[in-house]
Amino acid sequence: MEHVAGVEDDRLKLALTRSAQGDSLAFAELVQEHQGMVFSIAYHFLRDRALAEDLAQEVFLELHQGLDRIESPAHLTYWLRRVTANRCIDQGRRKLRRRELALEDAPEPTAPSQPADPLLLERLQQSLAVLPEKQRLMLILRFQEGLGPAEIADVLEMPVNTVKSTLHRSLADLRKGLTRKIREVRYAFF
Amino acid sequence: MHFSEDDLRQALKRKDPGSGFTQRVMARMEQAKTEDAAAMKGKPAPSAKKSNGFFAWWQLRPAWIVAVTAVLLLGFGWAGYQYAEYRHQKQAAITAAIHEKELQEAERARDQAILALQIARSKLNHVLQQTQLPADGNDKIRRQRL
Repeated sequence: MEHVAGVEDDRLKLALTRSAQGDSLAFAELVQEHQGMVFSIAYHFLRDRALAEDLAQEVFLELHQGLDRIESPAHLTYWLRRVTANRCIDQGRRKLRRRELALEDAPEPTAPSQPADPLLLERLQQSLAVLPEKQRLMLILRFQEGLGPAEIADVLEMPVNTVKSTLHRSLADLRKGLTRKIREVRYAFF
Repeated sequence: MHFSEDDLRQALKRKDPGSGFTQRVMARMEQAKTEDAAAMKGKPAPSAKKSNGFFAWWQLRPAWIVAVTAVLLLGFGWAGYQYAEYRHQKQAAITAAIHEKELQEAERARDQAILALQIARSKLNHVLQQTQLPADGNDKIRRQRL
């Protein structure tokens, strides 16, 4: 397993070096490798496929302009997460129409669902969308990217303790929001 | 309503941007390169055109503030220097005029003193001549002369 990871790292290192020298194919390889991560952070934050794709493309364009500053594949991943997070916050502030409206428009479930139910996942995504920007971004980095509080603090340039407390509060808010929504559904149904 | 962290991971799992994403990025990159090349030749890029409108100067307001402050400081400094120079010259002229006047008065006083001394000398000479006249003369006449 470690051998596979090492080979992968070497491949990305080579692609990075060749990209910095102007090799378009090597840069396309880097894009292919990281597009899922960048697009997903943007998509889960913005909940808009077109905006997320546009943002992801801009992140890769910025990467192409600053390739000579990237030192290693790990640095590249860190850089992409950081730039995507910053651009998401900027984009979120520019966006006039907030996600609350979309939440109201969403179809209501008829009954509480079992865990791992697609409806529960949908509800979770909708509840995430109404969280404040920083909380949403922290949850995305924590549960999509699997980053620890220290890594999240590094990406978002915040103290680790703030990240820990915000994560805790975000999960509580998420649970509260989800429970309230289900109660509303029950009242509407009965 | 309870959910586990796995549910959250499932809800936030990575999404595929769809086929052709890499090609679209590469196409945008090529477009950006073309725009950069056009900008290098002197043609303004469309995005640059949008931002440089009539109020584009306002975007450079810190530079303007620094420039205007520098000009004002230089202006006030120059004006202050000129005024100080003018005051200095005026003071020097007044001092010179006073000195000249005092000199003239001193010369006049000296001339008057010399004249007074000359008069006194001539009077004394006359008295001395009268006292040295011969004694055999007419005392009456001498007294009358004196």
